[in-house]
Amino acid sequence: MLPEDAGRSGSGRKAPEKASERLRRLLTVVPYLVRNQGTKVADAANLFGMSEQQLLADLDLLFVSGLPPYGPGDLIDVDIQDGRIWIGMADYFGRPLRLTRSEALAIYLRGTVLAGAPGLEEAPALSSALGKLAEALGPEALGELPERVGTTEDGRTPDTLGELRRAASSRERLRIEYYAASGAETTEREIDPEEVFFAIGNWYVTAWDHRSGAERLFRADRIHATTGTGERFEPRGLQGAGRPLYTPGRDDVSVVLRLGPEARWVAEYYETAREVELDDGRLEVELPAGRLEWLERLLLRVWPDAEVVEPADLNDRVRELASRTRERYG
Amino acid sequence: MHPLERLVNLVALLLESRTPLTFDQIRGKLAVGYGHQDASSAKRMFELDKDVLRDIGVPIEVVSTDAWDVEHGYTIDKQRYYLPDIAFTPEELSALFVAVRSAGDISAEDAVRKLLSGAERGILAGLGPPALGGGTDPNLPRAAEAVAEERSVRFSYRTSRGERSDRAVDAFGLAVRGGHWYLVGHDRHRGEIRSFRLSRISGDVELVGEGTDPPEGFRAAEHVRAGPWGPGEPETTATVAFAPDVAWWATNGVAGAEVMRTREDGWVEASVPWSPGERLVSWILSFGPDAEVVEPPELRSELVGRLEAILAS
Repeated sequence: MLPEDAGRSGSGRKAPEKASERLRRLLTVVPYLVRNQGTKVADAANLFGMSEQQLLADLDLLFVSGLPPYGPGDLIDVDIQDGRIWIGMADYFGRPLRLTRSEALAIYLRGTVLAGAPGLEEAPALSSALGKLAEALGPEALGELPERVGTTEDGRTPDTLGELRRAASSRERLRIEYYAASGAETTEREIDPEEVFFAIGNWYVTAWDHRSGAERLFRADRIHATTGTGERFEPRGLQGAGRPLYTPGRDDVSVVLRLGPEARWVAEYYETAREVELDDGRLEVELPAGRLEWLERLLLRVWPDAEVVEPADLNDRVRELASRTRERYG
Repeated sequence: MHPLERLVNLVALLLESRTPLTFDQIRGKLAVGYGHQDASSAKRMFELDKDVLRDIGVPIEVVSTDAWDVEHGYTIDKQRYYLPDIAFTPEELSALFVAVRSAGDISAEDAVRKLLSGAERGILAGLGPPALGGGTDPNLPRAAEAVAEERSVRFSYRTSRGERSDRAVDAFGLAVRGGHWYLVGHDRHRGEIRSFRLSRISGDVELVGEGTDPPEGFRAAEHVRAGPWGPGEPETTATVAFAPDVAWWATNGVAGAEVMRTREDGWVEASVPWSPGERLVSWILSFGPDAEVVEPPELRSELVGRLEAILAS
């Protein structure tokens, strides 16, 4: 077994940053500082996603660089006074390095996804930014891509998206009406919204839920109404973008279904714990579930293309739901 | 000398030099960087530095410096090095930040930072902390490359119904629907334009050669568009009543659904687009006893038929 501090990430100290990483950053941040003389150290560090310490260390090295013969008049002039940065003798670093092809593609594709997200206030600005980018970079960077990428609206526009984002950035507690799909009911609760993000076609908000006294992930389009409470909250550092969309709970039951062709979409739509292709062409999936109400409704929807393997009483519950539904029709 | 200092000096030297410089000339000028070692280890160090610069996108070129192609010099083409100024508004830059600021995509975020230097100062105020954006599709960069370069690709694909086969496709375009990326192109075996959801591709997308041009007026998004109940536009409408708890959610969820009236018992009657097929029935059933078809009668009996089959099973 390896000792705890083996490897680069295991030790408490961070591995020294690679020179190439620092150079890449330097060639990005210096042009900004050259063009915006007197920028505050704190602002520059914030804008370029680095610590003030990192920025100052990088500028320290810049200070002894320049052109041959590297005399006093050839070196880059870095002046830091009262927390502000002035850079002289570095006109050749007055513009940043071009975007690499993969950088240009990454921006373009991410931008395209988000520009097509329902209800995004920045969508028009984003679309025009992508247009300018494509025009300026030309086919060398993006090839035929800008002409060939498109989005089509699909999905709900969450009416409350703007309010949720504003509350998350101003840290205001909200009272919401939420359609909880798990129990198929609309509920009222107070939440501390920490982060709003877009994932696989839907907007989500990570929040502390005062009703359950726990962290919860809410789908923004299921939030019917929001009311500001005027109260501020202290963020708990809940994870937003990039988090799993389903967090297993202690009381989860394991539900195992066999999906025929018409029901396979279930495995694409819900997060599964396990998927096995069966010899008969069906897909066996295990879905973690805290409550069974939503599953009863799902099974009513996909019947007869899904077969319940476990829990055994789920079939009875589906039949019971079918019977209650049947009563509506006299 | 710190490697970073040497690299900065090398970039500055090659950017500012009017003529290509041979390695010996570089070594002579950047004596502190390469001069104190013997020639062959200095050359090795220089080769490594050159790789680092190319990795981050510095366009170092090698050109011959004499008519006999004996001596080679190094140069950086300013035209290719400098990012052209792009007049983004603060709102546009802020929107780009919003788009790339998602977990795990640091490179895209750094890329947007390159665009900052040409911006007005106002951008500083406009940058909030919101992180938006979701997961990435592992096949997206490769598919984008294929579209950008008009290449032909091969991959193994599983349809939504679970049928698996190998596909050979001339990449025409990419489209997003419901947060999912689709590759649209000419399916060589099937002889027509098809769309492929990237998440249904198993394994890698392989670039295999020249593709073909898309037809005149090609629009990728048109090939992934779908109505609420699958491909095609709904033909007619049905009236469905929803319980008060679910009504807003139900009517908000289907394109073209319209609330008609709220009944005295609080139930909401809505007109819902409908084309024959099972999907509308399935969707209404997903509300259980919280939804009821009002008309037409054939839809009512279809739904009752489904329920009775479940009860009899």
